[in-house]
Amino acid sequence: MEAILKFDQVSKDYPNGVHALKKVSFEVSEGEFVSVIGPSGSGKSTLLRAINRLIPVSSGTVWLDGQAVSAQKGKKLREQRCKVGMIFQNYNLVYSLSVLQNVLHGRLGYMSGLKGVFGLYSEQDKQEALDLLEELGLEQFCYNRASDLSGGQKQRVGIARAIMQKPKLLLCDEPIASLDPSSAKTIMDLLRDMSQKRKIACIVNLHQLDVAVKYSTRIIGLSKGEIVFDGTPEELDDRTIEKIYGTSRENLMMGGTADDKADTVDCA
Amino acid sequence: MSMEYNGTIVNLKEKEYTEEKKRAKRKTTTKIPVKCRQRNRFIPGFLGGVALLSVLSLLYLDIDWLKMLSRVPDIGEVFWELAHLDFSNMDLILSSMVETISIAELSLLYSLILGILFGMLAARNIFRIPVLSVLVQSFFTFLRAVPTPVWVLLMLVCLGMGPEAGVAGLCVHTTAFFTKSFAQSFDSIPYETIEALEVTGTGRLSIFFNAVLPAALSQIVAWAGMRLETNFSECAILGMVGAGGVGYVISNSLQGYDYGTAGVAILLVFLVAYCIERMFVHIKKRFY
Amino acid sequence: MTKRIPLIARDLRKLYTGFLIAAVVLFLVCSFLTEFNVMTLIANGDAFWEFITEDFLPPALPKSSRIPGILSSVLVTLALAMSATTIAAVLAFFVSLFGSEKVAPFPRAARFVRGFATFLRNIPALVWAFILFSSLGIGTGVGFVALCITSFAFMVRAFVETMEDVSQDCVESLQAVGATFPQRVSQAILPSCLNGFLSWFLYCVEVNIRASTIVGMVGGGGVGLTLFSYIKSFRYDIALSIILLVAAMVIVVDQITARLRKEIMK
Repeated sequence: MEAILKFDQVSKDYPNGVHALKKVSFEVSEGEFVSVIGPSGSGKSTLLRAINRLIPVSSGTVWLDGQAVSAQKGKKLREQRCKVGMIFQNYNLVYSLSVLQNVLHGRLGYMSGLKGVFGLYSEQDKQEALDLLEELGLEQFCYNRASDLSGGQKQRVGIARAIMQKPKLLLCDEPIASLDPSSAKTIMDLLRDMSQKRKIACIVNLHQLDVAVKYSTRIIGLSKGEIVFDGTPEELDDRTIEKIYGTSRENLMMGGTADDKADTVDCA
Repeated sequence: MSMEYNGTIVNLKEKEYTEEKKRAKRKTTTKIPVKCRQRNRFIPGFLGGVALLSVLSLLYLDIDWLKMLSRVPDIGEVFWELAHLDFSNMDLILSSMVETISIAELSLLYSLILGILFGMLAARNIFRIPVLSVLVQSFFTFLRAVPTPVWVLLMLVCLGMGPEAGVAGLCVHTTAFFTKSFAQSFDSIPYETIEALEVTGTGRLSIFFNAVLPAALSQIVAWAGMRLETNFSECAILGMVGAGGVGYVISNSLQGYDYGTAGVAILLVFLVAYCIERMFVHIKKRFY
Repeated sequence: MTKRIPLIARDLRKLYTGFLIAAVVLFLVCSFLTEFNVMTLIANGDAFWEFITEDFLPPALPKSSRIPGILSSVLVTLALAMSATTIAAVLAFFVSLFGSEKVAPFPRAARFVRGFATFLRNIPALVWAFILFSSLGIGTGVGFVALCITSFAFMVRAFVETMEDVSQDCVESLQAVGATFPQRVSQAILPSCLNGFLSWFLYCVEVNIRASTIVGMVGGGGVGLTLFSYIKSFRYDIALSIILLVAAMVIVVDQITARLRKEIMK
């Protein structure tokens, strides 16, 4: 399979002297569901934001779909960003706009400047957005304010917005950190289904180790800005966990164990 | 583009869905609406009204823009002159600055005491005489509605030149402001707190000083800090309507084409105002 | 006296004691510097009272031929405040877009934008008016510009703070979508912050109604100038009726803005 994303010796130093990423290199191919785990401050968010250049990297190159993102500016950069959907912990919706408008924001990158400014979306886009909302079970909320929705529903709108971009890569920055367990499961299931059906590679930042093990095809462990583990969920043993979090497995809050991987197949 | 994801769910609901689509179509011919159902319809009207009023206002004012524009280069000249700071009158500027700051402080402190007293009368939950609080509040609303310099001018007439007029004039407006805000703070104190003391048979005044005032203290300090900024800038302009202080120095030297001195005084006003603002921001960050 | 119900924590009490001491010290120092004494006020009490009862009361109407002029001067003051605030708000909106590190397209410039606004804001409107009078001459236009400058600077700060509070997150998400800066403004910042902006705008109108009266007093025209001329010519009874008129104007405007604000925030 072809690599969609390639990190080549990427480093990021913040002006305050924090080295968020230290010569990180890895590749992600089509259809992969990658979880990035690691303690707070290990550079997970920076890693994700380096991909669509919300945070510029200090050195090294990020290759996205065969083009270097880290060198691009202006229009080229926006074109690259179109290919990458992003989902946020706080949903980052515009709460005073309708759900449909929020979903349609996903098309802004493809539209000419002025049309986007006035929100003149094409009928085809609108129809697509309605279809998508229906698929996510939100059709009755189309014309509600985004602020009226519950957390899980807001996150679904966030997913719809990302899918509207027709992305090749989906970045999820702790998508379930502010959700209750049941909504969290809905969201994770949705993410997996979407990435499988549409062949979108997915990179998910996670704090929940059990969720990472359950859903992902591959896990990357970050610690202090360095990749300390890169492999399948099966390969993630206690010693690696200790290496990532700097503490043994008993000291970590864990929902399930690696054993209940079997029943996740049924869910899918 | 691939539509394969429109899988089974869509097929099931297709009928229902086309119905809905039709409904949407009927509403707005062919376009699918995107906007919220319950958005605030007042805002567009408000914006239009404001725009209209402003255009009418500009027409009514009938400002001679061409004449103003032709003199714009003069502004640059004045600023250039102002930038040539002249420190020779520093002692005069400094003493008037000290006077201005003192007047601002004094009026603030006096008004603080007066404001607490009148705020007590104006609050509804302390003496519980509605007539009294309504009377006090409407009286101070009137005082507050008249700009400070007017009061200072009137005080100048009564008391003659000097800091007394400045302090008294500023006090009128500041006290009115404090009365309203303190009364608000007192009113926001839960009734239970007062009740707790009332059942022990405490007098109204001691309830106020023992329960209400301490509870509202943090808000009082916040209001006072906010007012200090305003009082200083009000005080700085008092000189311009005839009272003393740094404003007098500025207006006098500007009118006498002594731009250097005016520049120093203006810079000083800016620096003091900036320091007060920073200080207040700092205090707010630390304690709230 | 009943027993005290403790309502404040110990560290807060320390803070308040500090404030109290500072206040007393400041009071003493300032009283000494300005030689201000409340007693002089009290001693002058009867002169004061005489002034109020004899010169001030009852309010008198000016000559009936003057009344339309006075009413139109009230309109000038209102128009001045309204138009200056609107123009300042429009300018402030565009400038404030560049005033926040987190939202603006050129984060490096944000600091300078805010610094500039701070400078403009901390010099009182009347000082600006005087500076402009000495270059542009006396007139309503100068009052307009002076009001514009201060309310512009005030609103830049208020708008930047609103934006950072409200729309930082959705701006980031639209950035990730690949939206251009104008798109981000119209689709994220504007819808989410508009109520906040308008509320600040209304506050500024309230402030400017008072400020335009003051600027009028020193030559900006309007009801301030009329009032000033009556005070200067010792017609305090007529001045009182104009003061009442100004108060009525301010109170009415305050009531209207309060109503509008409620409606906007719905």
